[in-house]
Amino acid sequence: MGTIVAGCLTSHAPNITAKPAIADPQQRARFVAGLETMRRRLLAAKPDVLVVFANDHLQNFFYDNMPAVCVGLATSYWAPSKGGAEFLRVPARQIPGARDWAKAFVQAGLERGFDLAYAHELEFWDDVSVPLHFLLPDASIPIVPILTNCVAPPLPRPHRSYELGAFVEAFVDDARPGAERVALLGTGGISHWIGVPGHGRINPEFDQRVLDAIRQGRGESLAQLTHDEIETAGGNGGQEIRNWIAVLGAFHGRKGEVLAYEPVPDWLTGCGAVWMDV
Amino acid sequence: MSEYHLNKLLFDTAGRHQMVESISDERELAAYDLSPAEREALRTGDLTRLYELGANPYLIRRVFRPRFAI
Repeated sequence: MGTIVAGCLTSHAPNITAKPAIADPQQRARFVAGLETMRRRLLAAKPDVLVVFANDHLQNFFYDNMPAVCVGLATSYWAPSKGGAEFLRVPARQIPGARDWAKAFVQAGLERGFDLAYAHELEFWDDVSVPLHFLLPDASIPIVPILTNCVAPPLPRPHRSYELGAFVEAFVDDARPGAERVALLGTGGISHWIGVPGHGRINPEFDQRVLDAIRQGRGESLAQLTHDEIETAGGNGGQEIRNWIAVLGAFHGRKGEVLAYEPVPDWLTGCGAVWMDV
Repeated sequence: MSEYHLNKLLFDTAGRHQMVESISDERELAAYDLSPAEREALRTGDLTRLYELGANPYLIRRVFRPRFAI
């Protein structure tokens, strides 16, 4: 059996790297400090692979063929891609992919009732590139991206994400070699309203509800939220908390430590960074 | 005609990295099966109406980027 050695939850937003200076300097410093703590702890956990729960922003998928959950099977990923690098204002680069791990995971899913789509090519924007800009600056750990549709309704139920995380945990526990060390990252949310009437809104009250649930080990309560509850209180961008909920599903009831929380209006996002208690 | 074609127009526009305030080029619009309401909202750049008609907000954000202050 393998071991889950770390769990990280972070927000992502293009302006975090594209326009760092438009944020309040103190807010920016506190959030970046939280990510730096996360980076040090993540590397100290010495993972062999990093499973990244994230979401596409319609750069890979469109309504002609929209997967609910898609696993990346590539040997490397552009994160960011050249197009993404232009608006994220960080250099385009390639991150190695843990292809064999990902393929075994998809196979296990198909055998045990978790039918997963897969893709041999994916490009990433802020969804994966911004967190990894801070957490894996030297691209030293191969990743397995697991993309859940959070942007093109109808979306999978949040509870399905919890089940997905639990399935990853079971896969690591049952099917991976004994010495393997696996880290999990969930990225998205917390509240934000993007491209909708009310664009730019953040709801710190919703964000605190999410963070309190994680602090108290009540991750499964977040999995009970409905699409409409999230949309109303957390905005359309809040639907991305499915990626956090997946990590919480792998950590069944364990608590998280909030390393940073800053509602940054000019980054259009309630920015959180949480370390899960292994 | 459906919101699918509206989103396809926006997806194709975003794919060319075009950022606009409205879309009123008849030749461009003619390539998609759009309703009169969708055409009107694109011509006038009425983002709220486009959202109500089913345009994906992430595509609205990308295509009509100049219309957003932040």
